[in-house]
Amino acid sequence: MVKGIEKYGIPVVHMCTVVPISMTVGANRIVPTIAIPHPLGNPNLDEKEEYNLRKRLVDKALDALVTEVDGQTVFE
Amino acid sequence: MHLELGNIFIKDVQFAEKTHVKDGVLYVNKEELEALIREDDHITDVSIDLARPGESVRITPVKDVIEPRVKVEGEGDIFPGVIGKVNQVGSGRTHVLKGAAVVTTGRIVGFQEGIIDMTGPGAEYTPFSKLNNVVITMDVKEEILQHAHEEILRLAGLKAALYLGEAAKEVEPDEVKSYETLPLLKSVEKYPDLPKVAYVQMLQSQGLLHDTYVYGVDAKKTLSTFMYPTEIMDGAIISGNCVSACDKNTTYHHLNNPVVADLFEKHGKELNFVGVIITNENVYLADKVRSSDWASKLAEYLGVDGVIISQEGFGNPDTDLIMNCVKIEDKGIKTVIITDEYAGRDGASQSLADADAKADAVVTGGNANEVIELPPMDKVIGDVSVANVIAGGFDGSLREDGSIVVELQAITGATNELGFNKMSAKGF
Repeated sequence: MVKGIEKYGIPVVHMCTVVPISMTVGANRIVPTIAIPHPLGNPNLDEKEEYNLRKRLVDKALDALVTEVDGQTVFE
Repeated sequence: MHLELGNIFIKDVQFAEKTHVKDGVLYVNKEELEALIREDDHITDVSIDLARPGESVRITPVKDVIEPRVKVEGEGDIFPGVIGKVNQVGSGRTHVLKGAAVVTTGRIVGFQEGIIDMTGPGAEYTPFSKLNNVVITMDVKEEILQHAHEEILRLAGLKAALYLGEAAKEVEPDEVKSYETLPLLKSVEKYPDLPKVAYVQMLQSQGLLHDTYVYGVDAKKTLSTFMYPTEIMDGAIISGNCVSACDKNTTYHHLNNPVVADLFEKHGKELNFVGVIITNENVYLADKVRSSDWASKLAEYLGVDGVIISQEGFGNPDTDLIMNCVKIEDKGIKTVIITDEYAGRDGASQSLADADAKADAVVTGGNANEVIELPPMDKVIGDVSVANVIAGGFDGSLREDGSIVVELQAITGATNELGFNKMSAKGF
């Protein structure tokens, strides 16, 4: 899907836990996430901390979206 | 470490007043076994059926399959740390009711549970259609949550297998096989000219009903480590998972791991089988990195020339598999990986979620997306309505006449990644 959308000239950020798979499928902008059952959350945190975590991840993804990249890039 | 396995060949199973083995027949006292299962007061209902090879019987949803074994000599109990004492196993003598098994079923725990047909086309895909099965159907109290439900059924199945295994204690085995693994340096000294080979066994440990236990320890909380292969034959590794039926390792698979068996077969002749490295398949990337680092470090430390790596399950564990393969290859150690494929119903899609050019020796257990039609059976043990919801099934899988159309994914053991099945593929 990442490659399919980028084919039309629309940049994509792939937020995912297993970065090596994202690399294998050819995503250009990769934001690592938390865990496979809960990529964008963490049930071990309290509600406020988890909200902050989610916000940080989404902010990072939005930043990645407007960052020029030269090949596959992981935004740690 | 040295273990003798005394195999007692079971060709039939019958109900009787006393549980015992005579002339290759396993007799089961149904009431006694039922009472044993009911000792756990979370279990509200138990029924016990027998399912023999060739009978028109369908068992679903299958939770686990377990081979009855008993320690006759040597330290420890079968299934150490789980229901037996935690003491080390793998030496002395163990008797096996070869050809018999306990199969657990009942209300579905997780959606990735399977089907065993005892006859027809489906029977060809599951090794458990060839066994004389004691099938235990259990129901638990309504309010019990999934994880507790899984544990209750897991322990009940193991208990039943130990109960039946006791019947093998005083019986003279039909054959005795001997397995020995020497301490590493002695083994290398004994076979200086043979290539040193280890087995890297990946254990399903994703959590959320995808778990494996080693001496009672939840594998997701372990670091990769060494084991003597005979420990596995005494039940040091057990299944506690509801991962897709086709490629999960039941406890039966662990006890009879064909990679271990075949490496022992060639041990001292073509190669020197120095031991087993177990490692896990967790859901955090950091765990995947750490565990594959450890597996490759241990392979390097053992000084082996080659390893065989087996996977369990599919999807993100494909990454653990490839990480193990690449990191071990990078140490200059040859690898062969064993996996299965989710290549679409026509087999034309990419088989694994991850790949690397270094994975150049691959054994496949077959394509789990292949579709099969299972004709109706005269008798169904368990709950056949799950056919529409289990992995590999879909809305409409179960037809009115009782026939089922499913992907092979739904058949217990169909694409097993230890090679405990008949399917594979050859590349030219």
